[in-house]
Amino acid sequence: MKKTKAALCLLLALLMAFTFISCSGGEEGQASSSTTTATSTASQGTSSTEVEDPYAETRNISIAVLDYVTDEEFQNPFHQFFKDKFNIEWDYNYVEWASWDEVLRIWINADDLPDVSIWNYNYQDFENYVDQGLLYRFPDDWKERWPNAAMAYEKSPLNLELEERLGGTYIMLRPIYVYNAVTDPIVNQIGVVALRKDWAEAVGFPIKDTYTVEETLEYARLVKEQDPGNVGSALIPLCLDPQNAMFHFVTSQANHAAPETAFYKNEEGVYVWGPAQEEVYEALKIYQDAYREGLLDPEFYLMNDNDKDRFYINGTAAMYQMGGVAEFRQTCDTEIQNNLGLDSDEVVHTAIVLGNDEKYHNIILGSNFWSSLIFSPNITDENFERIMDLIDWTCTQEGQYVCNMGLEGIDWEYDENGEAVSLLGEDTSVYDKYGARIESLYILEDDFAVVNPSIKDEYRERMNYLAQLKLDYGEGEYSDIDWDVEFHSSRNKAQATLQLSQEYANLILQEGDLRTNWEDWVAQKMVVIQPYLDELNSQYGGL
Amino acid sequence: MRKDRILKPKTGSLLAEIVKNKWTYVLLIPGTVWFIIFAYMPMGGLSLAFKHYNARMGIWGSPWTGFENFSYLFADPAFWASVWRTLWINISKLVITFPVPVLMALFLNEIRMRRFSKVCQTLYTFPYFLSWVVVSGVMINVLSYTGVVNSFLQLLGVDEPINFLGSKSKFVPMLYLTEIWKNSGWSAIVYIAAISGIDMEQYEAADLDGATRWQKIWRITLPNILPTVFVMFILSTGNILTNGFDQVFNLQNAATRDVAEVLDIYIYRVTFQSSTDFGFSTAVSLFRSVVNLILLVMADRLAKVFGGSGLFGEGGKREKRKV
Repeated sequence: MKKTKAALCLLLALLMAFTFISCSGGEEGQASSSTTTATSTASQGTSSTEVEDPYAETRNISIAVLDYVTDEEFQNPFHQFFKDKFNIEWDYNYVEWASWDEVLRIWINADDLPDVSIWNYNYQDFENYVDQGLLYRFPDDWKERWPNAAMAYEKSPLNLELEERLGGTYIMLRPIYVYNAVTDPIVNQIGVVALRKDWAEAVGFPIKDTYTVEETLEYARLVKEQDPGNVGSALIPLCLDPQNAMFHFVTSQANHAAPETAFYKNEEGVYVWGPAQEEVYEALKIYQDAYREGLLDPEFYLMNDNDKDRFYINGTAAMYQMGGVAEFRQTCDTEIQNNLGLDSDEVVHTAIVLGNDEKYHNIILGSNFWSSLIFSPNITDENFERIMDLIDWTCTQEGQYVCNMGLEGIDWEYDENGEAVSLLGEDTSVYDKYGARIESLYILEDDFAVVNPSIKDEYRERMNYLAQLKLDYGEGEYSDIDWDVEFHSSRNKAQATLQLSQEYANLILQEGDLRTNWEDWVAQKMVVIQPYLDELNSQYGGL
Repeated sequence: MRKDRILKPKTGSLLAEIVKNKWTYVLLIPGTVWFIIFAYMPMGGLSLAFKHYNARMGIWGSPWTGFENFSYLFADPAFWASVWRTLWINISKLVITFPVPVLMALFLNEIRMRRFSKVCQTLYTFPYFLSWVVVSGVMINVLSYTGVVNSFLQLLGVDEPINFLGSKSKFVPMLYLTEIWKNSGWSAIVYIAAISGIDMEQYEAADLDGATRWQKIWRITLPNILPTVFVMFILSTGNILTNGFDQVFNLQNAATRDVAEVLDIYIYRVTFQSSTDFGFSTAVSLFRSVVNLILLVMADRLAKVFGGSGLFGEGGKREKRKV
């Protein structure tokens, strides 16, 4: 009896130990299957030893992107086209927006990056990673080997600056414009609002290309008072989440209120902190008054960027920050038709928002990039070459057509004048048909959107016109990028990094006097800001 | 039939104790292995608090920086604000929420209808299995301006909706409420188990003496589960600077960030929302663990002062078994 008991105990213990080991092993296995990729190997695609086709051998390439693609979508003709053309099998890793920075940070620091990943570049981390050998260093002759990719790469001046500073290429910042830049210098997409034209007409509000912040508030007031859409209590005159509220009220009126421009040299050559300047207080005052007046959603702080969809899904919003990309306007058009059964050309008007001084301040002249491509330091030469071949091809005019319009002969064709014509139905986009196109890795869609024949001409022309207006109204309101600040890297800088849109929202929501609250906030933040300012002034201060 | 071996009692001999209870110790092996691998071995990583982490050099090869990480940490007012906020929120949470599962266990124990008792226990335990992401989604739907509560209040004639989610003064009470709703049922299981271990003869004797239900709860049930209550309290105290990341992270928003940045949120912010500095974040974590340890030891000592048994029984005294 005792023996049986002992044997049972031993068996139970072993069982528990095995369960524990197999559970932990399983988790590890899962983790590695989702993140690992550095060890990607080539599967044997052919047995021939005399291979002339450079793509005869299938390459299994791991990739981390922000677009979600289902297994079923991976089988569609678009993805199949790239698989066939480059003989690639994707080891696909979907990264969610909300955890993008964290996930990539963990992968990079764990030396477990997929072969190629989309990364939210910031210089301080980038320099750190390069120092530690955590990013792949491109071969010195890569520009000669992949000239189309190099051409697109050089369209972002920051790429060249980084290359010079670090003595080689470790990153490819993704250019916004390559072939079809609308303005010179380039402006970013923020600052364009969409408003209900039919409501504006009903309340007697003028339709214009530009509105000051005060004018947008006037429109919101009129809509709130008269409710021309009979929306009732669900009406949101200005549909803005904290981020877009910052663009609408604060950065639209103060040149140095945004995180990207917060540290700058004043006229005396001294570095100062933008959010502590009087102009930011004044912008915050307008923001707070608008909130207290009920022109924003009472719980706008719970909203995120997707909530702007209320404009066209519920038809309950009168105005929102749409962004100056023709594709957004096209989406708005489709959704208004689908959800509200209205013709958007009749009910939507787009314009830019100026400061109350009638100047455009919301201009952050980026270095023509958004996010970047980085490669695992452990990527095999064969995989690197294959993925670069793909990138290089997508950077050609031909590649751009496929990436943005779909397959030639099926989704589009050239007409008798040699112009590309979409064969997709009016209410169908390439996205609707094929889902996310992860193969369009490098040049951002904004570039092709300028000429994309699947987007209505008038939308493209309108967005180009508004971009030009930004430059015209923004003249004298912006300066060149301060490379000293951009490339400065220190712990003080890290500690002085704030989520300003959240900070501003918090400030205007506080009870009591805004000036007192703002001054207290500035004083509190200066404890971490001042050491960074001192650092900047001691190293780069002076005229 | 084999004669039972009688072990020679060697009082104080650890080996003899182990030999005597060898199968119990065998059963401890998986848990011990788990602790070694996942709790003790990673402690080597705490050395990062005194280093400047370099991924290529690894934890051991990264250069030492002495107390530099701590000097930056202690100079940051946001850090101290988050420490005091965490202490305040978690101590008050402990005081308010800790008795609830005990009361719940007593309540469930008093239900005479067995099936109803089971249904209640299941209902109370269920929320524990929801993640904080789900709970926060539920809270937003229930408490927003257009949520269930405000809609109901509107039906009752309340004109102005109540701002639950964006109010700083309501944020901490919301933490208490959600904590109670989500976790009390689960925590009550421990006390229910303790109650079920009480010798029934005590209740029978009390019945014979004509004790009321209240007297039985007060004189029998509570004193019997008190050691468990003490242990659970001490364990909770040891987590005072740790608790609540998921909860606070998912319930906070721009309007409440002033009152919501507890130490875990601070660590998250410095680790993931600014430039990577694992040494700095480890320094914060180490500080938190040290404070937690101090609080744990203090609670243990206090429990003994007030007549409790502490975490490790009667002050290390071992009961001599009668042979």
